Amino acid sequence: MNAIRTLFRRKSLFGPSPIGMMCSYLVLGIWTVVVLFPLYWLLVTSFKLPVDVNTGPFYLPFVDFKPSLHAWQYILVGDLSNDTIRPYINTVIVALTSSSLSLLLGTAAAYGLTRFVYRPRLGAILTFIGCVALAIVAINLGAPWQIAIIAGIALFILLLQTIGRRFKRALGNSDIAFWLISQRMLPPVAVVLPIYILFQRLHLLDTRTALIITYLAVTLPIVVWLMRDYFQTIPVELEECAAIDGASRYRTFWSIVLPLSVPGLVATFLFVLVFAWNEYLLALFLSGADAQTLPLTVAAQNATRGPQWWYMSVLILIMIVPVIAIAIALERYIARGLLVGAVKG
Amino acid sequence: MQVERQSQHPVQSATSPGPPLASSSRWRRLNAWAEHLAGSVFILPAVLVVLFLAIFPLIISLYLSLSRFKFVKGGFEIKFAGLANYRKLLVGSQQSRFLGVLAPPSPAGWLVFGIVVVLLLLSLVRYVRSGSLSIGGLFGRLVSSAVVSLGAWLLVRTLSAGGRPGTLVVTWIYVFVGIAVQYLLGLGLALLTTQRLPGRRFFRVIFLLPMMITPVGIAYTFRMLTDTDKGPFQPIWQALGLGLYSWVNDPWGARVAVMIGDIWQWAPFLFIVLLAALESISVEQIEAALVDGANRWQIFWHISVPAILPVSTTLILIRMIEAFKIVDLPNVLTNGGPGTATESLTLHAFMTWRALDLGGSAAIAYSLLFVVTVLGMSYVNLVRSRVTEG
Amino acid sequence: MKSRIWMIVTLLVVVAMLAACAPTTVTVTVQVPVKETVEVPVEVEKEVEVVVTPTPEAKPFEGVEVNVLTFTGPQIAEPLQRRAPDFQALTGAKVNVTIVPFSDLYQKIVTDMATGTNAFDAFVFAPQWMVDYIVPGYLEDLTDRVAADPAIQWGDIAPFFRDFSATYGGRIYTIPLDGDFHMVYYRTDLLEQEGMNPPETWEEYVEIARFFHSKDLNGDGDPDYGSCISKKRNAQAYWFIYSIGSAFIQSQGTSQGVFFNTETMEPLVNNEAFAAALDVYKETTKYGPPDELNLDVGDTRSLFVAGRCALSMDWGDIGTLAIDPTTSVMQDKVGAVILPGSARVLDWATGTLVDCDETTCPYATNGVNHAPFAAYGGWSGGINAGAAPEVKDAAYAFFSYMAQPAQSNVDVTIGKTGFNPYRTSQFLNRQAWVEAGMSPKAAADYLGAIEGSLASPDMVLDLRIPQNQRYQQIVLDTAISQFLAGEITREECMQQIYDGWEEITDELGRDSQLEAYRGTLGVTR
Repeated sequence: MNAIRTLFRRKSLFGPSPIGMMCSYLVLGIWTVVVLFPLYWLLVTSFKLPVDVNTGPFYLPFVDFKPSLHAWQYILVGDLSNDTIRPYINTVIVALTSSSLSLLLGTAAAYGLTRFVYRPRLGAILTFIGCVALAIVAINLGAPWQIAIIAGIALFILLLQTIGRRFKRALGNSDIAFWLISQRMLPPVAVVLPIYILFQRLHLLDTRTALIITYLAVTLPIVVWLMRDYFQTIPVELEECAAIDGASRYRTFWSIVLPLSVPGLVATFLFVLVFAWNEYLLALFLSGADAQTLPLTVAAQNATRGPQWWYMSVLILIMIVPVIAIAIALERYIARGLLVGAVKG
Repeated sequence: MQVERQSQHPVQSATSPGPPLASSSRWRRLNAWAEHLAGSVFILPAVLVVLFLAIFPLIISLYLSLSRFKFVKGGFEIKFAGLANYRKLLVGSQQSRFLGVLAPPSPAGWLVFGIVVVLLLLSLVRYVRSGSLSIGGLFGRLVSSAVVSLGAWLLVRTLSAGGRPGTLVVTWIYVFVGIAVQYLLGLGLALLTTQRLPGRRFFRVIFLLPMMITPVGIAYTFRMLTDTDKGPFQPIWQALGLGLYSWVNDPWGARVAVMIGDIWQWAPFLFIVLLAALESISVEQIEAALVDGANRWQIFWHISVPAILPVSTTLILIRMIEAFKIVDLPNVLTNGGPGTATESLTLHAFMTWRALDLGGSAAIAYSLLFVVTVLGMSYVNLVRSRVTEG
Repeated sequence: MKSRIWMIVTLLVVVAMLAACAPTTVTVTVQVPVKETVEVPVEVEKEVEVVVTPTPEAKPFEGVEVNVLTFTGPQIAEPLQRRAPDFQALTGAKVNVTIVPFSDLYQKIVTDMATGTNAFDAFVFAPQWMVDYIVPGYLEDLTDRVAADPAIQWGDIAPFFRDFSATYGGRIYTIPLDGDFHMVYYRTDLLEQEGMNPPETWEEYVEIARFFHSKDLNGDGDPDYGSCISKKRNAQAYWFIYSIGSAFIQSQGTSQGVFFNTETMEPLVNNEAFAAALDVYKETTKYGPPDELNLDVGDTRSLFVAGRCALSMDWGDIGTLAIDPTTSVMQDKVGAVILPGSARVLDWATGTLVDCDETTCPYATNGVNHAPFAAYGGWSGGINAGAAPEVKDAAYAFFSYMAQPAQSNVDVTIGKTGFNPYRTSQFLNRQAWVEAGMSPKAAADYLGAIEGSLASPDMVLDLRIPQNQRYQQIVLDTAISQFLAGEITREECMQQIYDGWEEITDELGRDSQLEAYRGTLGVTR
């Protein structure tokens, strides 16, 4: 009887009881198989000849079918190697840069939204949009864009002092936050052509810069929203203590708030990195020969002959290797215990 | 909640200089000025970047949705056509593809619709009776109630026998069912791996894998896996006696296949965010609760759930907005087939766009934007504010 | 005061951002109007003779760079990339081949030219798309260049590709590199065993499919399928329906057309002929794989060369795929035949099917009207009218080089290139095919089927009017897919296509669409 009870008793604060451990392992094991089996299938397919893929499922190399290195050779060494290395480098640079920048700017904005009260006046916003629209029309009618922008800004400042002042109604933090997330609502297919034209006018087509800026703008809303919630869990008293001690806002943000929200930062960074790493439609349009990224190469394996499963498997597998490495390196930061001693101190 | 007030456009100037030390007064003034601008410095870069890439495309695509695109001698012309594209979607030739084929609702359908309408009326009445009534708020709630009830009516009528759901309804099914399953799965996995199990770090990294594969790659992988003819599950399929059948011929079978792929892909996202939230709960709180004699369930319900609730609501909002744009899986798995059974709104827009009907595609995209905005705003107002306030 | 400071900061930030995005290099593209005086590239002649003995001093395009856009191969892209260095050694022009995913090639080309980006000087694309590029004036007129270029041996190209596929309104716009049309493939061993002949009509096709369905056709113990035809949504179904239907609809030669009435632009879909085609298409589903509704042509041809189907329909790819040991176990068991025909054809006036005789079917063989469908058109090279003049010359020289028999006849025998035969001279030398791995009998069969199709005066031209994608991919494909899935009936399907096509025609202007349609068929009034 006692033995059964020990089975159900927990070992420590966060450790499960023996029964709990068994059940947990069972469930976790099942889900691990669910996660890993498609990847195993990809691995096995990358070693198959086309005829093996088409004549039915073969599971084990050397047992069911004869493995061949033709796909790996083709992608990494042979014909396609030039079109694999360059996209690979592009993907790495674009993804890392845009997600780092996005994390930086987005976290700052999220902090601002949780600690400050913003009251942008509606009048100011409307005049701003009006001036931007006028600048766009001017550019499309042929004016050089530098002059149009400067004129627009000057007009904005002028109007702001006069008309903008008259409308007292202002928006709040939650409106800014909602506006940010509403940028994600429109499907990319609707904005792809205007963005293409925008970068074409700026002569930034087929550059990594264009991709970085676009991914930055596209992922910022998510970073802001996710980090907002993590910041709200951090007690304000910490920062008040710091302010009393004479630290500036920037100092507080950098030295106190950020270290406390590392789990959230890591989770958000991983998500944003993965997004930029895997994005397809915008990369398709903004890139030509120079700035192509890997997802395009993967999709391109579906050519007129039908999907070439073996090449595709190789590409997908080599695509996830760096991301997994980063995830392994960063996973340890999503750990409890970073808050120990913080509140008391 | 808020630490200090800082207005964007202050009318009065109020900079307090530091102590009047001759040598460092300028430095202090600079510091104080930087301090004063802290609010703007934090938020402006992000807002400006998003603004830069937001305004131009939005205006252009809105104009496109109201016009017709055509190649003519010398280039192309974009002719203003008013609401023609929207009319085609709602009452014209694309109606059966967009909204679906409507059939008289079944008794169960009537019941569901009735419940939805009653709930909406109740919430409206409660809002009117509450103290903070305003014209803008009332108007907003009326609009969202109208839209939600119209949506429910559409759902009920297309899902009953004889009806056929269009891309709008199919997208809703993907979103709501998919998110429900993904959330529960992610939460369950997060709870399990937050325990001090040996080897939990291994599980945590493994569970992240699906999210890291490019969506196009996942779509093709699932196309391989769901091929009951040469895919890995062929023996199981045959053993079940289904060798002569294929899920591709049944609309619901095809939709389930798409949803399985979607759930597999996105459960890790919810898993990692919820895990981070769970790991942020301080140990002292839980220890204190244990000392006070709480059992596990009470700790979960009173400490863990409130801690992850704000993040959960954000997560669901983000995931909902992304889920509405599902396109890769239906595109690669079935190209929207059989018939139009698995076609999502974004896929509909994408196919229309590929055939150079830019106006029609933009109209579909804006309809999607409208639906998501209404749903998003209702969600934010009803759920999030109640959860995050206080 | 404070607001002013804040505003100045914003101003500075915005200006700094704009400065950071300032162009470092400004590319100037010369926009040249379409109808310009074309310089006759006399050097091309010299350079072609140089194919055999290269002379180092004949480098007419030294320093010129040509950017070619096509889709990811190895099909089509591989031969271009392989021969580019040779071309450079001969002429000094550097050819850069950029590749993008196949499904997005059309968008990339259109966007590049329509927005004036002109990052690409030449494209290898499907002629079916060409009308969308010609009407706005983006594609260069090549008639004069071809006329002045004897090396390309234009007369050797099969009449259909030469007179219809490469032209629009009587002018040449593309250089054919590949010949595309549908054929039916069958298992020679199975049919011989049963003493059957390859199908001549669609009724026979269905009969053969029914006979072989559920039998084990490749010796692995599992039941296989009678017929494998692609029926996936938004894949190739909208071509295959016309591969079946053309024989019912067109009998008076290519200029008759199968899609619209050449007088009124009325769609030819609400009649007995199209209904018969729909019936055949749906009937074959009964004798195919259970997931045939989700198979695109890549899947069906893989199934066929793995031995799982008795019959299939495809472009020329199965022929070359079948001899490749990495993809096929059916070497030497594959035969090809011209698309089955029909003994009854459409009477345009009444919309009913009438029997074949000398007047209704002037081109019938054995009383059966065949109308091989040149679906898609065959990959061809086109030149961006907005490119610089010397770049255009170099691009033309490159495409001419690729199309000349010395290069082309070799490439069409290699399956990996994706180039299928389109020149008469390519059928005369059977030895090249045998060397590539086909048995003499299979080579005779395959080439015979292609020859027969190419020689047919009743070959069917694919739809090439402005925004043909809307007609085919949006309206036709959706209706067919819904019909196959059982969502709508046959009558509803035909009516839906009819209404959809009429709506697009009215939207784009009936007269201009009619003029364009007649232009592609070479019909003048």
